[in-house]
Amino acid sequence: MQTKKTISIVIMILLITTQAFAFQWPWAKKKTNTLTITGSTTVLPIAQKVAETFMDIHPKVNISVRGGGSGVGIAALIDGTCDIADASRPMKTKELKTAREKGINPVETIIAKDGIAIVVHPDNPIKELSLEQLKKIYTGKISNWRDVGGESGAIVIVSRDVASGTFEVFKKLVLKGDKNRDDALMLASNKAVATTVSQTPGSIGYIGLGYLSADVKALRIDNVLPSNKTVISGEYKLARPLFMYTNGEPKGFVKKLIDFILSPQGQNIVSDIGFVPIK
Amino acid sequence: MNKKQSWYLLTLLLMFLTSSIAIAGETKLEMYLWNRYTYEKVGDEIEESAFSLERGYFRLNHKFSDDISGRFNLDFFSSDKDTDVHGVGVKLKYAYLDFKNLIPIPESKLTFGLLKNYFGTIYDWSYVVMEKDPADKYKFISSTDYGMSLYGYIPNGMGEYAVAVINGEGYKKAGDNVNTSPAYLANLRFIPIPGITIGGSYYTKKKGTDKTDYSAYALVGRLAYAPLDVQFEILSKDDDGTVSQGFMIMPIIKLANNFELVARYDNWDPNTDEDNDKQTLIIGGINYYIMRRAKGKPAVMLQVNYENTSYEDSSKDSKNKFIAQLRWEFSTKL
Repeated sequence: MQTKKTISIVIMILLITTQAFAFQWPWAKKKTNTLTITGSTTVLPIAQKVAETFMDIHPKVNISVRGGGSGVGIAALIDGTCDIADASRPMKTKELKTAREKGINPVETIIAKDGIAIVVHPDNPIKELSLEQLKKIYTGKISNWRDVGGESGAIVIVSRDVASGTFEVFKKLVLKGDKNRDDALMLASNKAVATTVSQTPGSIGYIGLGYLSADVKALRIDNVLPSNKTVISGEYKLARPLFMYTNGEPKGFVKKLIDFILSPQGQNIVSDIGFVPIK
Repeated sequence: MNKKQSWYLLTLLLMFLTSSIAIAGETKLEMYLWNRYTYEKVGDEIEESAFSLERGYFRLNHKFSDDISGRFNLDFFSSDKDTDVHGVGVKLKYAYLDFKNLIPIPESKLTFGLLKNYFGTIYDWSYVVMEKDPADKYKFISSTDYGMSLYGYIPNGMGEYAVAVINGEGYKKAGDNVNTSPAYLANLRFIPIPGITIGGSYYTKKKGTDKTDYSAYALVGRLAYAPLDVQFEILSKDDDGTVSQGFMIMPIIKLANNFELVARYDNWDPNTDEDNDKQTLIIGGINYYIMRRAKGKPAVMLQVNYENTSYEDSSKDSKNKFIAQLRWEFSTKL
């Protein structure tokens, strides 16, 4: 009786297993001309603009682009709910392990470079900071503009939230393992940081080069102003590559889209939006 | 749990909360709650038909710096099966500190306190079926214990490893209830190619006050190829000469992003020298993710499981269980 039952259970499991591989399940019929891109808000403007242009060239393709942060994009790739994960930081070993366990093989493509611009309100007389001063401001050791050569006034710290790749890179390049001041405003997007800084006279924040505008003032860091030229030359230290991750080598329209981003036309878009092309 | 123990845990919780607020850093509060209905029949007798809070976690994670973080976790439930107390049962489940970069091994951490036991699949069991991890269910090892461990990742996400020295008595025993011989644990998981995981764990200790020999091992495997994900585990233990063995296979099929079918088959022999004592467990069920959190973890989830336990001994009635559970989880930064 027991053996009979065991055999029937094993057969049931085998049936389920083979059916899963063999049967054309409804979800497997996913339209190959529908792409989902999720992740970094830094990469978002590139992805949006490139997707618009790509859909103009390929009218049958429908691309949905969402932000959320690098961590959210990578989690979506691991869960199989997006075709491309945008990230402004490389994947962590823990994320790679989780992906591989679930049968996901993340393949990385660098699509652009970016400088992290340190911005203040346009009325702030401060024009430059050293990396050391910047670290002291963000960790709370300096809390008044007077201490870095400005007018007396409290410094309001504006930061990105922990799901952000920009936050991870800033933490690595500036904070070097230390923590943000406790009362830092942790905002969900580059745009939110730019808007808050533009409306708060005593504030300081950090955003991708693509978000620079006349509403905020970019500071020189260690005597170097962030720009395409200084990022390419390596003079500007707060720079990082921007990534798109796919499950395995890109195929079909995913490959066409990534090839398009890396083409001269795609890299022109990268440059037009204010990021640094890699080619 | 008696009143004195409850006050002790409450005081610990308050101390942790107040220190979290006073010390600079990030504190995250997480709650996990499982509201359940269980209908159980043994033979023709209805053994249970009741609603309950099967389990709840009250968890605080505090990050002192990038290199030092801690976790405190209370485990609570409607009925404490260990003490037969009803209303609420509370146990201390985790209370540990993680130290990264304390030793010069990249991507590793040292952990001290009441920590996870890196054995088989017990430490990352995510309850896709409502039944416990096999090593937990068949009493190989407790899910957490007091001690210290070294845990790390193999480069490029190729797997993970852990070694630990622990009390060997689990989180429910402390003080002079614990014998003076520590237990040792080693674990390795390797992912040679995406979708294939293999690994094993070994655990040895001296058990009880008379310090009899106890050893256990687990071999684990996982095959993930969307939409199918199958986990395997083979377990064996030698408790002072009594050898027990078993295995589990658990396939999961993701039918949609928010819906999956789950099944599990366990075969368990508590004493290989005795005939007629084997048992099998069959589980079939569904998971419906009503809402997910930003990074895909469940926020509100409905689980329905049917469980059948049958025995080789024909004089024993088989057990049938229907369980429906609403599982809700959330986290917030304090």
